[in-house]
Amino acid sequence: MKIPKIRFIGNLTKCLILSGAIALVVTAGLFINGIGLDIEFRGGAIITYSYEGNLSIDEFKGRLDEIAGIPMAVQATENIATGQSNYVASLPGDRSLNSDEMLRINTEIAAVFPANSVQAAEIKNVDPSIGHSFLMKCILAVALASVLMIIYVALRFRTIGGWSAGVMAVLALIHNVFIVFGVFVLFRIPLNMNFIAVLLTILGYSINDTIVIYDRIRENNKIKGASMQLPELVDYSINQSFKRTVMTTVSTVLAMTVVMVVAILFNVSTITSFAFPLTVGLIAGAYSSICLAAPLWVRWETRKKGTA
Amino acid sequence: MKRTPKWVFFVVLGLILVISTLSFTGIYTQYGDVTRAWIKGAGDIRWGIDIRGGVDVTFSPPEGYRASEHEMAGAEAIIKLRLISLNITDYEVYTDVARNRIIVRFPWKEGEADFDPERAIQELGDTALLTFREGVELDDLGFPAGITAQTIILQGQDVAKAEAGYHQNEYGQSSPVVQLTLSSEGASKFAEATARLQGRIISIWMDDTLLSYPTVQAVITNGEAVITGMESVETARELADRINAGALPFRLVTENYSTISPTLGVGARDAMVLAGVIAFIGIAVLMVFFYRLPGIIAVFGLLGQVSLIIAAISGFFPAFASFTLTLPGIAGIILSIGMGVDANVITAERIKEELYSGKTIDGAIATGFSRAFTAIFDGNVTVIIVAAILMGAFGTPGSFFASILRPFFFMFGPTASGSIYSFGYTLLAGVLVNFIMGIWANRLMMKSISRFAPFRNPRFYGYGGEGH
Repeated sequence: MKIPKIRFIGNLTKCLILSGAIALVVTAGLFINGIGLDIEFRGGAIITYSYEGNLSIDEFKGRLDEIAGIPMAVQATENIATGQSNYVASLPGDRSLNSDEMLRINTEIAAVFPANSVQAAEIKNVDPSIGHSFLMKCILAVALASVLMIIYVALRFRTIGGWSAGVMAVLALIHNVFIVFGVFVLFRIPLNMNFIAVLLTILGYSINDTIVIYDRIRENNKIKGASMQLPELVDYSINQSFKRTVMTTVSTVLAMTVVMVVAILFNVSTITSFAFPLTVGLIAGAYSSICLAAPLWVRWETRKKGTA
Repeated sequence: MKRTPKWVFFVVLGLILVISTLSFTGIYTQYGDVTRAWIKGAGDIRWGIDIRGGVDVTFSPPEGYRASEHEMAGAEAIIKLRLISLNITDYEVYTDVARNRIIVRFPWKEGEADFDPERAIQELGDTALLTFREGVELDDLGFPAGITAQTIILQGQDVAKAEAGYHQNEYGQSSPVVQLTLSSEGASKFAEATARLQGRIISIWMDDTLLSYPTVQAVITNGEAVITGMESVETARELADRINAGALPFRLVTENYSTISPTLGVGARDAMVLAGVIAFIGIAVLMVFFYRLPGIIAVFGLLGQVSLIIAAISGFFPAFASFTLTLPGIAGIILSIGMGVDANVITAERIKEELYSGKTIDGAIATGFSRAFTAIFDGNVTVIIVAAILMGAFGTPGSFFASILRPFFFMFGPTASGSIYSFGYTLLAGVLVNFIMGIWANRLMMKSISRFAPFRNPRFYGYGGEGH
C-alpha cells in the first residue's frame, strides 16, 4: 500500500506562517468589524412579526416606532419553506421590554393593520444581566473542557511524554477556536449560542484528529522507537494516518455542507450560522492536527533533548 | 483464535434492522379510542420549543425585592397551578433560589391556533389572589357560586405564613397538616368566622381554583389554625406553598422571555430531517465506494447507530425518559454520527493496511480492529468529556452531571439553556452508541461475513488496484 511521503515537520515553519497570516486577518477583522454579541448574550429585544397581504415596510416601521415610542430597526425576511413573510423588529442597544409593554405594543400594532393579521410570531427578549452571566458560563465550560482534555491526553500518552503532547494538542485547539471565532467576526455573525456549540464541537473533533495521530506515534514508538529518529517517526505516523484524516474530514464536511445548503434553501438562519463556521472549523481542525500539533510537539521534544 | 460463526452476521444485521424499524415506527395497540404505545417510535419525539414553538420565560420578583426561599417556593407553586389551569401540562419549571429567578418553559399545544402567549406570560406572573370563603358552592365550571362567591373570609394579606408539619391527636397518632399563622387582622376575622361556621366548611381558593375545603372543628381566636386531613406530607407542603403564594406581596415580572410560533419551527425541523437523510446517503455512497465490504458493514452499523440515538431520545427504552430534542440537539446527532464514520474509516483503513503488510484476511481483520480500537477509544472519550461538561453546565439543577460540576458552576444559577443541554445529551448518547455499533457490532459482522467463501477475496477489502 502506498503511504504518502509528505514532510510535515520540515514544513512546520510554512504552516506557522500561514496560521500567523490567518491570525493577522482575523485580528484586522476584529478591529474593523468588532465583536457582535447576539441577543442571548448582550440582552435586548427582537420581535418577528408575521403578516399577510401587502404591507409596506416603511409604513409598518413608522407605526411601530410611534407605538413603541422608540425607533426600531426593521428588516424584511421570508421563510421559503412556508412562504411566510415576516418583519423582524429589534430595539436599539440592549434595551429589553417588560411583558406589559410587549403585550401593549403587539396588540396595538395588530389593531393598526387589521387587514394584514399582524402577529408576533417570535419574540426574543433577554435581560442583559442574564445574558452576561450566560456568556461567562459558556466561556467557563469551554475552559474546563480544555483543561480536562489536556489531563486526559497527558495520562493516555504518558509513554511519549504526555504533558507536552497534551499542551501542544490544546495549542492546536486554541488555534482552531481562534479560526472559528474569526469566521464569526469576518462574516459579521453575532456571537450566539451556536458559537458555543460550534466551539465545543470543534474542540471535540480536532482533539480526536490529534489523538488519532498521537495514537499512531505511540504505536510506532513502541515498535520502531529505537531504530527511528523522532522527527522521522512522527512524519511516518502522520503519513500513515493521512488517508484516514482526509476521508473522515471529507465525510463530515460533506455532511455539514448538505446541512448548510438545505438550511440556506429553507432559510433556517439558526442552522446556517451553525453549519458554516463548523465546516470551516472541521477543515481547520484537520489541518492543525497534522500540520501543527504533532510537528510542534516534535520541535518541543527535540529542543528539550538538545538542551539537556 | 476463536472463529466467529457464520450465522452471527445475520443475527446482528437482523437485530439492527429490527431496532431501526421499531425505533422509527414504534409499536402501538389500539382499544377503541385509546392508543397505547408499547414502544415509542420516532413520532413520539418531544421536539423542543425552538422547533414546535412555545414559550421560554424567566420570572423574578420586582427589582430591589429580596424574596425568601419560602416566597420563591410559593411563587413556583402558583405558576404550576396556573399552567395547569391554562390546560398546559407539558411544562418545565425551575427555581433558582440564589438568584431569585423562576424559569418556565412550555410548548405550544397541539392544534392550538389562537393561543396568545404574551397574555399567558402576563397571567402567569400576576399577583395571586388567595381567598378563604364560606361553604363550597360551585357552579358548572367549578367557579365559586352562591354564598361561596359572596362571602370572603380571608384574603392573601391576612395570612402571615403557611407551613407543612405534623400534628398529634389525643391518641398520640401523628398526621401531616398545614399550619397557618394569620396576621392580627386576619386572626380577628377568622375568630369571628370560625365561631359562626363551626362544623361547616371553609373553602380555600387560588384565583378561581379550589385548593381545599376543610371543615371548621374549633373556634380559632389566636390566629394559629391547623388544616388536618392531609393525605401526605407532600400534599401538605403543596397546599402550604400555594397558600404562601397567595400571601406574596409582589407580582412576578419578566424581562427575559421568548416565544416562537410553531410554523417557524416546523419548517426548520423538516429541513433538518431532509438534510439528515441526504447526508446519510452521501456518506453511505462514499463509504461503499472507498471501502467496499467494510464500507457496506459500516453503513449497517451507522444505520443502527442512528436508530439507537433516536431510541434514546424518543423514550424507546423504559429506563430512559423521553428527551426534548432541540435544533442543537439535531446537530449533536449529526456530529456523533461523524464520530461513527470516523471509527469506521479508521478500522477500514487499518484492515487494508494489514492486508498490504501480508496478513491473511482473518488476521488483517483481527489486528485491524484491535489496532484501530485505541485511537477510536481515546477520541470518543474526549468527546464524552465535552458532552458531560455541556450537560453539567447547562442541565437542570439536581441532574447527575450538574451535581458533579457544581463546584465549577456554583456562581451561576441554573440559567439552564435547554438547547445546549440537548446538544450535550445527543452527543453523549451518540458517542456511547458508537461504542456498541461502530466497534462491537461492526467487528462481529466483519469477522462473520469474512468466513463466507465469496468474501475471501482481498479485493473486497480494498486490497489491490493501487499498483501493488
